[in-house]
Amino acid sequence: MIIELREFTRVEGNGKAEIVVENGEVKDVRLKIVEGPRFFELLTLGRHYYDVPDLEARICAICYLSHSVASVLGIEKAFGVEVSEEIQLLRELGLIGELLESHALHLYLLVAPDVFGYPDAIRMATKHGELVKEGLALKAFGNSIRELIGGREIHGINVKPGGFGRYPTVEELENIERESGALLRLARRAVRLFASLEPYGEKAGHFVATDGYLWGDKLISDEDGSFHYTERIEERSLVYSFAKQSRYKGEPFFVGALPRLLLKAEMLTPTAKRLFEEHREKLATGYVSYNNLAQAIELVYALERAGEIAKKLLDKGIKGENVPVEVKEGEGIGYVEAPRGVLIHHYRIDSGGKIAYSNIITPTALNHAMMEASLFKEARKLYGETDETVLVQRLEETVRAFDPCISCSVHIVKL
Amino acid sequence: MMDKLKLAVFELTDCGGCALNILFLYEKLFDLLEFYEITEFHMATSLSEGSHYDVALVTGTVSSQRDLALLKEARNHSDYLIALGTCATHGSVQASVEGSIREKLKRVYGDEGNPMRALDSKPVVEYVAVDFALPGCPYDKNEVYQVLMDIAKGIEPVKKDYPVCVECKLNEYECVLVKKGLPCLGPITYGGCNAACIRSGLGCIGCRGPLPGEVNPASEYEILKDLGYDDDYILRKFKTFARWEP
Ligand code: SF4
Ligand code: SF4
Repeated sequence: MIIELREFTRVEGNGKAEIVVENGEVKDVRLKIVEGPRFFELLTLGRHYYDVPDLEARICAICYLSHSVASVLGIEKAFGVEVSEEIQLLRELGLIGELLESHALHLYLLVAPDVFGYPDAIRMATKHGELVKEGLALKAFGNSIRELIGGREIHGINVKPGGFGRYPTVEELENIERESGALLRLARRAVRLFASLEPYGEKAGHFVATDGYLWGDKLISDEDGSFHYTERIEERSLVYSFAKQSRYKGEPFFVGALPRLLLKAEMLTPTAKRLFEEHREKLATGYVSYNNLAQAIELVYALERAGEIAKKLLDKGIKGENVPVEVKEGEGIGYVEAPRGVLIHHYRIDSGGKIAYSNIITPTALNHAMMEASLFKEARKLYGETDETVLVQRLEETVRAFDPCISCSVHIVKL
Repeated sequence: MMDKLKLAVFELTDCGGCALNILFLYEKLFDLLEFYEITEFHMATSLSEGSHYDVALVTGTVSSQRDLALLKEARNHSDYLIALGTCATHGSVQASVEGSIREKLKRVYGDEGNPMRALDSKPVVEYVAVDFALPGCPYDKNEVYQVLMDIAKGIEPVKKDYPVCVECKLNEYECVLVKKGLPCLGPITYGGCNAACIRSGLGCIGCRGPLPGEVNPASEYEILKDLGYDDDYILRKFKTFARWEP
């Protein structure tokens, strides 16, 4: 017997799951992606490098800037371009805006209705209006940073190889410094709320993240040493599934907020670090549901770090100079921590500056196997114990904890 | 109080931006909710209670049989259907990848998998009649607000019919095409974004699709050729967001 779950709601993109039951026991769970193919790798082939980050942005709206930045980093690596600290800080600021926007959307509008038993945030607002408003305030602030650095709230084209089209003004940076401080209180409240959730889903066996907090030159894991994705991560097509699946040394693994905290806690800002320590025991169990709590702690990190960056830039003064980009043949990988986890853009560029090879692996594709493992565990636990509505609800929550971004999984195809 | 209009958001294959942009209306969303009740919007709600919609917004391209079925359902059950965003109106980036669907699937996924039910990405307007087409990748959120308000008040919304250039001039931005030699598609692209990219000092990449009528793609082509861009570059640039015309 196969139980078909309807399409997931309150996640980005279109996906559903199937539970295979034999002799009264859950035998398998399949995560089906019903989003159609989007062919981004083919789209960029033969295109001039300058136009590529703007196209890649369109992979996903919730994390377009992560895609632009990963793309720019890959291109700069291929050309051997090194940018100034100012440009790096501004890119980090943009990614922080995106983290705030994405985490706030996920926690307040998509997960909180589960916590309080509503079908959505709009209906939840009648009783918990304050909370919804707080979430929207955080989200709007994140978006304003994203607009400032990226050029638009969604799919801006301001992030370029070698720098930016437009640099922020002193006044705009002062606003960020001021507002990030003011919003910190809300983020701390979110930590309290999400710390009260019970654990569910699978415990992750492996964690993977980039070596810097929001981007890196390489990846790190719970094992020793840094590495390139090609060394330990393998992608394969599955006959039954609708997505390519990635494994770390053959095993499912987890990327996202929880892995970031567990692998990079020493890089956190003071308050975020304190909150992490306070909840370390819980988080270290590795249950995927604690990804929600980890995201809440990252809201605190993002606000503190945004303030730090704005201050640093204001102290030094904005120069607004781009670094010249010289076209030559080369190969480069950009690693970024999108809000939902590691994002990889890998390019080879020919001597004319055109893309000759491109490979993109998104967090949702990396987490796909882990998501299935979690669904399987949850389905086994609950099947026969509760009625189907509760089962379905809990399975949706399990998937939602990963904050999956289905549009983003560019490899994915409906069979 | 009069009954609220039933509003549905249907998302086909896309980046999620056009659906997300509705949530980015913030307070204005609550203003809209004075007139509308959302009965279908799977990114935002677990409820799905409609069988008839006064207004249906459809985002994304038709890229699979599921998309096609969903689109037909949206069309059959709605009075007023809006193709929302450049995916839905012109196909946007995913529809610009040329080649047969089988060949494309093979190049990305290898020989595995059965591509039977995947379709070549096409905009919504290729399959059904729409009552209004609002382009933009993503569309300007103030524009969708205006359109929905107009409909609620019984006014037929008006389509923008001037190029991005006009908004650029109104904002007094420096022309990046002439002054910086950047490839800017502003002269031949639907206005309505308030020249967002030129504000950053960068050229318009044509995300709102080509403006038909008086505009002159041939002269844009000549300008870009004079600036030193080759044929392949210019053609690809022209076709990135729009292989189809609504
Ligand atoms: S038109 Fe652009 S923003 Fe809208 S869904 Fe398509 S790719 Fe995304
Ligand atoms: S300037 Fe061009 S590319 Fe930018 S938002 Fe407007 S139409 Fe789109």
